[in-house]
Amino acid sequence: MSERTRGRTGRTVGENEDRSVPVLVRKLRKEFDGLIAVDDLEMMISPGLLYGLIGPNGSGKTTAIKMFVGLLRPSGGEAYVLGEKVPGRENVQRVGYMPQETAVYPDLTIHENMELFAELYSVSREDFERREKLLLDVIDLKARKDSLVSQLSGGMKHRTSLACTLIHDPELLFLDEPTVGVDPELRVGFWEYFGNLKARGKTVVLTTHYMDEAVRCDVVGMMRAGRLIAEGAPKDLMARANASDLESAFMFFSRGDNA
Amino acid sequence: MNPRRILAIAMKNLRGLKHDRRTVGFLVFMPLLLITIFGYTFGGDVENLDVEIVSFDDAPEGTSIASAITSDLATRDTMSIVRVTSPSEATDGTVQAALDKVRDADLLALIVFEQGFTEDAYEALFALRNGTLVMPGSFRVYIDGTNPNIVSAMMNDLQTSIQKVLVSPSFAIVLPIVATPELVYGEGAEFIDFFAPGVMGLAAMMVTFMLSIISFVHERGQSTLDRLLASPATEGEIVSGYVLAFGLVGLIQSLVILITAILLFGIEIQGSAVLALSMIFVFGIGMQGLGFVLSALARNEFQAVQFMPIVLFPSILLSGVFWPLEAVPDVLRPASYFLPLTYAVEGLRSVMIRGWGVGDVWLQLVVLLVFAAVMMLLSTYGLKKRR
Repeated sequence: MSERTRGRTGRTVGENEDRSVPVLVRKLRKEFDGLIAVDDLEMMISPGLLYGLIGPNGSGKTTAIKMFVGLLRPSGGEAYVLGEKVPGRENVQRVGYMPQETAVYPDLTIHENMELFAELYSVSREDFERREKLLLDVIDLKARKDSLVSQLSGGMKHRTSLACTLIHDPELLFLDEPTVGVDPELRVGFWEYFGNLKARGKTVVLTTHYMDEAVRCDVVGMMRAGRLIAEGAPKDLMARANASDLESAFMFFSRGDNA
Repeated sequence: MNPRRILAIAMKNLRGLKHDRRTVGFLVFMPLLLITIFGYTFGGDVENLDVEIVSFDDAPEGTSIASAITSDLATRDTMSIVRVTSPSEATDGTVQAALDKVRDADLLALIVFEQGFTEDAYEALFALRNGTLVMPGSFRVYIDGTNPNIVSAMMNDLQTSIQKVLVSPSFAIVLPIVATPELVYGEGAEFIDFFAPGVMGLAAMMVTFMLSIISFVHERGQSTLDRLLASPATEGEIVSGYVLAFGLVGLIQSLVILITAILLFGIEIQGSAVLALSMIFVFGIGMQGLGFVLSALARNEFQAVQFMPIVLFPSILLSGVFWPLEAVPDVLRPASYFLPLTYAVEGLRSVMIRGWGVGDVWLQLVVLLVFAAVMMLLSTYGLKKRR
């Protein structure tokens, strides 16, 4: 439990508004018609980290991210993203969000989808052309650039969605299950790119239910029933749980939370 | 409000349409089909009604009013006279046989002139001059009344013949009273002129509403709306982008209808075409806003489609597109005044047929502008609320 409370004590209100802190969450709650989706969540994500939120379906990962990007209003507590209390509009330009569903327009081509989001984020023409080229390489869809998204496979759509999120080169990324439906080979490429983003000083917050992937994160936050039950470097978590993989570690902390 | 973002959202909607050839085809050909079908159907009169005539009128040929009416009817297309039975051949049996045909729906009507019809008519005329009163000459028309339009078309045609025959040189009976219409507006206007503005309004309404409700159900369903809302685009910009794109589509449709109506049916626009199209544009904005608002209540396309008849039918029936508002029963009339299409159609007709300007249709313009503004505000609020 000590991981959960790390760095929480002794903060002042002023520090909440530190624009360099990607995510700071205090007693964050979200209820839907009496159903508690996020329950007194406490967390802090430091800049330049690859942070993985893991947990079973319904553990509150997506709800938490939707509050961070301003799509849902917290029922209680507060969350600061880049120093601004959510929901706020000040930092939208600095944040990238990839929804869990394949949120791209099926009646547009890959290129047109990317162009739309570039326009919405006021990306200059040259920047757009340069990044589009780069991202098409990353998602390995250069040849399908002018194909309608509706004609792509599920995995390809998902990759397009990632490219749309990255087109304005945000410094903080919220990726909700970015690798789901992506074949293993390409997934390796994705993680290399996430590492690349990190190397360029970006903060990446992602959710995944592939435990083997989560090992590649700097910090993993384990969520269960709307709460963070453990947080730390994958190695440390496994050591504390005396487990050989994250899955067993998750089971260990789950039991601890129940007790 | 950032114009670049509004434009980006508008372009996205138009591009999406561009890739969907069938929908583009639908958007262009649906109004074309509407105006063509309606133009020909309603533009034409009721014609070629099968009628049989049995005459017992024994007045000599040349003085018989019955045969004069019969030959006059034949000069027009309303009735197609299948058979005429002359007094020498007419029996109760012929009447019965013809009546059976009407009952079997093989004939639409049977006209029977009784014996002494001409004589009765003259007697009535003399009686009128003498100041006495007798029964007028009368004949019977047995009509299949299934379709009231056919009944009234046929009776009108008969009245026309009676009047023509009476004033003709052989009878020279001048009617004591004649009403002469002097058209204030709509000199030379045909039914299609009355109809075209209605179809323009209706087509714009159907398409803008349909496009916006389906698009928004998709935006919500596929989470692209989440992505838009998480971007720097504000709710107002999203709504404006949509308005721009689909308003334009509605406008192009009206243009298609207008051009078709001018080229194919020779309608004339008395007033400003720009004013007419502006009214359509504003109306289209309002309707697409309504689609936007209702899309929040639809969980999928199927539920969205259910809204269409609910929204369309009252408008089609109560807004004066096909029937004049004056024909709407008093009970339903207030509903007519709640329907924006009522104002769009009334405004369009005033501009296109009466040749009125902005100053004359200000009421319709104001109503449409308020409708559009309220719908846009509601749409924006609807998007904001979900946060």
